Amino acid sequence: MAIKKDLSIKYLGVNCENPFFLSSSPVGSNYEMVAKSFEEGWGGVFYKTIGIFVADECSPRFDQTNKEGLPWVGFKNMEQISDKPTEVNFENMFKLKRDYPDKVMVASIMGSCDEEWRQLAKMCDQAGVDLIEGNFSCPQMTSHAMGSDVGTNTDLVRDYCKSVTETTKIPFIAKMTPNITSMEVPARAALAGGAAGVSCINTIKSITNIDFENLTAMPVVNGKSSISGYSGAAVKPIALRFVAQLMQDEIVGKTELSGIGGIETWRDAVEFLLLGCRNLQVTTAIMQYGYRIVEDMISGVSHFMDERGYNKLEDFIGLALPNVIPAEDLNRDFKIYPDFNHDTCIGCGRCYVSCYDAAHQAIDWDQEKRRPVLNDKCVGCHLCLNVCPVQGCITPGEIKWKEGRKPIEIKLKKQYD
Amino acid sequence: MSKIVKSDFNSEAVAGFTHRTAMEEAARCLLCIDAPCSQGCPAGTDPGKFIRSIRFRNVKGAAETIRENNILGGTCARVCPYDRLCEEFCSRCGIDKPIQIGKLQRYAIEQEEAFNMQTLKAPAEKKAGKVACVGAGPASLACASELAKAGYNVTIFEREAEAGGVLTYGIVPTRLPKKVVDHDIKMVKDLGVAFEFNKEVKEADLADFDAVFVGVGLWGAKIPDIKGKDLNNVYAAVDFLKQARTLEDKFIPGENVIVVGGGDVAVDCAVSAKLAGAKNVRIVYRRTIEEAPANMTEFEYALSLGIGITTEMAPAELIGTDKVEFAMFDGRDGVSGAKFKADAVVFAIGQGPEAVDGFAAVATDDKGSVKVSDKFETNNEKVFAAGDIVNGGKTVVEAVAEGKAAAASIMAYLEKKGVK
Repeated sequence: MAIKKDLSIKYLGVNCENPFFLSSSPVGSNYEMVAKSFEEGWGGVFYKTIGIFVADECSPRFDQTNKEGLPWVGFKNMEQISDKPTEVNFENMFKLKRDYPDKVMVASIMGSCDEEWRQLAKMCDQAGVDLIEGNFSCPQMTSHAMGSDVGTNTDLVRDYCKSVTETTKIPFIAKMTPNITSMEVPARAALAGGAAGVSCINTIKSITNIDFENLTAMPVVNGKSSISGYSGAAVKPIALRFVAQLMQDEIVGKTELSGIGGIETWRDAVEFLLLGCRNLQVTTAIMQYGYRIVEDMISGVSHFMDERGYNKLEDFIGLALPNVIPAEDLNRDFKIYPDFNHDTCIGCGRCYVSCYDAAHQAIDWDQEKRRPVLNDKCVGCHLCLNVCPVQGCITPGEIKWKEGRKPIEIKLKKQYD
Repeated sequence: MSKIVKSDFNSEAVAGFTHRTAMEEAARCLLCIDAPCSQGCPAGTDPGKFIRSIRFRNVKGAAETIRENNILGGTCARVCPYDRLCEEFCSRCGIDKPIQIGKLQRYAIEQEEAFNMQTLKAPAEKKAGKVACVGAGPASLACASELAKAGYNVTIFEREAEAGGVLTYGIVPTRLPKKVVDHDIKMVKDLGVAFEFNKEVKEADLADFDAVFVGVGLWGAKIPDIKGKDLNNVYAAVDFLKQARTLEDKFIPGENVIVVGGGDVAVDCAVSAKLAGAKNVRIVYRRTIEEAPANMTEFEYALSLGIGITTEMAPAELIGTDKVEFAMFDGRDGVSGAKFKADAVVFAIGQGPEAVDGFAAVATDDKGSVKVSDKFETNNEKVFAAGDIVNGGKTVVEAVAEGKAAAASIMAYLEKKGVK
């Protein structure tokens, strides 16, 4: 029997069968799409952002970055908020909630002034959604009164949060833009405006590629292009950074966070949970692979919990957070030399090349045997371990304490995939 | 029931890479220091360099690296025994399987053609020296292009109507399409090398040249001296393949074809017969598959077409009235034996040299191969020789390597003689 674990979690007071939600984007644009995603196992949806403004879209509107033949390292999207009439979207949400009462319906909204935010909040109330997310972060809006231009203005964030939370009792989530230095500032402003929590990150302003045919960015729209949001696997490290900083903030960290940014696999999901997220949102991986990816997220997280003896998500949520510390607090008293397994080594010399050209010339190359030999210049940076193409060939070896530093028991990483 | 590949005579058996699949394969490359693959090529091709170029999206640079080193880059990408050369040295073998170097080379050369690249250029200022190359096969083409790149005037004499030698007349198009050979040969022509076709060259024709290169290959048919060898429809491989390539869809090999031999040429004959419509094709080899010189991938391809392989059986007698009807074989163990129905019997048991004394007075060994020094000099100071006529029949890439080395010797000779 396939393993099944209880992945249910309470998020902002709402029972969720699992933490895996569609994020507000093209993947949750109408009734049929969301219904299909629910059937395939997603716990809820942040329905594609609704405004009074109805988007007029360009074509084409997507691009992707790749590396060495690997597509979709990152993804660029120029689509704005929903291009359907506001009433149609609210009707869809109403019907979805009626037909799938156990799934969680989050309305994502975006106004361009106080009045619009209030009007949208009222409509959410009438549609009976479980939660509301305020989109303060879409970087490709055709109006500066909306999107990430609002999200970087703390006064507007606070005021619009207030407009919503004064209108409805439904818990309100403010979606943050990463196009800012300190996300804690608008996050605190959102909470001050009455938001119950925040979600992050929305997409990063980007130019993915320059087209040599038309001498513009991609995608090419009549010979021109625009800066717009970047997402996918490439942005996960940036998303995790913002998540950690928000969760370590003494005010924001007390609230419940929804994590977004490059989640494709159960491992990505667990990483966001380990930093303290209680809800996870996905779009780019669905655009590439479809809703079915949730099956392996559910199964993979279940196996992870089984392996470690966890019975519920709360058993491990936030466990990694205290271990992400300021650079000045790291122990710098030792270095760990790499250990080279000459039996599994295939003699490609990549460790030698990288160590010489980019590190400390600490590897000598035995030309005859085609094997690396460590010399006394090694600083323990582990660049060699990172470039070695053979699994388990270069591993952490001897620990060397710096002159005059006191040896203590230290924690090591032993397994590298 | 096994699934059999159906193919036609002129379409290439293996599909090439697209940009994406080439990038995927190049990404598997470990980019070794002092790349072992680059030490595995007899012709000195540097796969480590051209694969790195592909990986860093410089496919034109990759094509240059290949073409500058090997005038037959497109051909070698198809017919090289990679598994015994560069790919055998590939470090990736230590992880899973080697990089498909031949297929990446093919991709780069296909891009060269797609971009209509003019990679090689002869110098504007010509040298006075005139060199004749006899035969338009791999060794001559390699020798001639090296000389032309250095500014010498080169003329290739070929007795057939087209250039390429064994490439044009002796390899099945499913393995080496004609357009690939033609593209490589175009590179030689673009260097300004002159060709004289349908020319059975005589010593007097070569009198005006400062040096002569002999690259005539091996075209002497070998048929064992057994009863019935003079019956109709008994072929030597060279004649059978030449007919197949020149007659193309008008070539009718007969219903039951027996190919005797165990090398790539035997497989080419069997594949040609099968693709030309023969119903039952059988390769019969006197030794085991393990001892056979053919590439395993070639045997596998023959098998995939439904060609049978019978081992440890040597031809004993051919039976028929005017034309051959049956072929008798004796088993290696002295006990077994076989009688096969045969509308045609092809002997692919190696080719021998033909006499060269009609155009070059040079010493030969007892087999008729031209004797040369390690610099490919014959006993006649203005005559040089390389390729199959010297080495007794090896690979295309070795003929290219020898042709290049002979060109270097010819240039040194001309320098010494003061022919600038």
